[in-house]
Amino acid sequence: MSFPSDAEVIGRSLGEPEAFGLIYDRHAATVLRFLGRRAGAEVAEGLVGELFRIAFERRKTFDSNRPSALPWLYGIGSNLLLKHRRGEARRLRASARMAAGREAADGRASAAALDARVLFPRVADAIESLPDGEREALLLFAWEDLSYQSVGEALELPIGTVRSRLNRARAHLRELLGPVGKRRVRSR
Amino acid sequence: MKPLDLAKKLRREAAFEPAALDRGKAVLMAAIRQEVAPKRGPTIVPQVPYQDISAALSFLERAFGFREIPTARLVSADGVIDHAMVEFGDGVIGIGPHGHHGAISPKSGGIESQYISVYVDDVDAHYQRAVAAGVRIANGLRDYVWGDRTYEAHRTYEALDLEGHRWRFHQWIREVPQSE
Repeated sequence: MSFPSDAEVIGRSLGEPEAFGLIYDRHAATVLRFLGRRAGAEVAEGLVGELFRIAFERRKTFDSNRPSALPWLYGIGSNLLLKHRRGEARRLRASARMAAGREAADGRASAAALDARVLFPRVADAIESLPDGEREALLLFAWEDLSYQSVGEALELPIGTVRSRLNRARAHLRELLGPVGKRRVRSR
Repeated sequence: MKPLDLAKKLRREAAFEPAALDRGKAVLMAAIRQEVAPKRGPTIVPQVPYQDISAALSFLERAFGFREIPTARLVSADGVIDHAMVEFGDGVIGIGPHGHHGAISPKSGGIESQYISVYVDDVDAHYQRAVAAGVRIANGLRDYVWGDRTYEAHRTYEALDLEGHRWRFHQWIREVPQSE
């Protein structure tokens, strides 16, 4: 392979720190979009450099058997986002309003639109009230399209634990959402 | 609709300023520079002139254990070494041609205008190595105590290299209480 893997680049950066710049060039845009989806553009712009600085300082601990550094970077990002939970929750509720609005503008039956206005804020609340570990696994899987394997690498969990966490998250959501329209929306 | 599909509907992209990636990279590169900076070398580098740089490099390595920094060597178009650097511990010395920048080798100048102190771990072993390499000893091994308010015991010798530069090698022995 003429194109060096992330593991090879990180290995080289142990002796030549400048080489780590290539890891940024490869993944920063993906990581920035991830942070943005979670915490909004302003927070994401402030975090992306910090995330890569932390990755650079921890590069000795990167498992060189992993070809891609991306799940590892997601994991560092997930930790950084914990300090921005409030902003994340705000953004999630706004996203719920927008999703409900989209459904309403779809020109479907007004009953469906009404359901959507009730349903999506409840989805947001349900995601918010998941335990941190389950929420993180769910969002990496559902929003970032990470495989079980990659979610495991990001959160430093065995794949069996990822599977059971996602199952628990699904069950929790189902429980928190209940049958649509038959429960009152919890206000926040 | 399944819970996972509902969660997916709340996925929303953020709109970034175009320069956001550049600012992030600047943060990373500053961290990288900070790690690289200490490797750039010491603040003060004595430049020592020689008539024959090539001979000086092999002498300094053989007699004193200095190591050339291979990436620092400058070679002219006709293959002559213009300048080189040697290191020992955390010290670095430049090896340049006699007559450049007003620096004169004692071999033609006839005088030493300075000497360089080098701290070693085992001065006796260093002395044996230097003598075996044919160094001229200006002052043999001796112990001495110096200081103003606090005193230190050192063991030292002075050697003249192949062009007559004077080097003084020290081994720090101990701090000496005033009562002694």
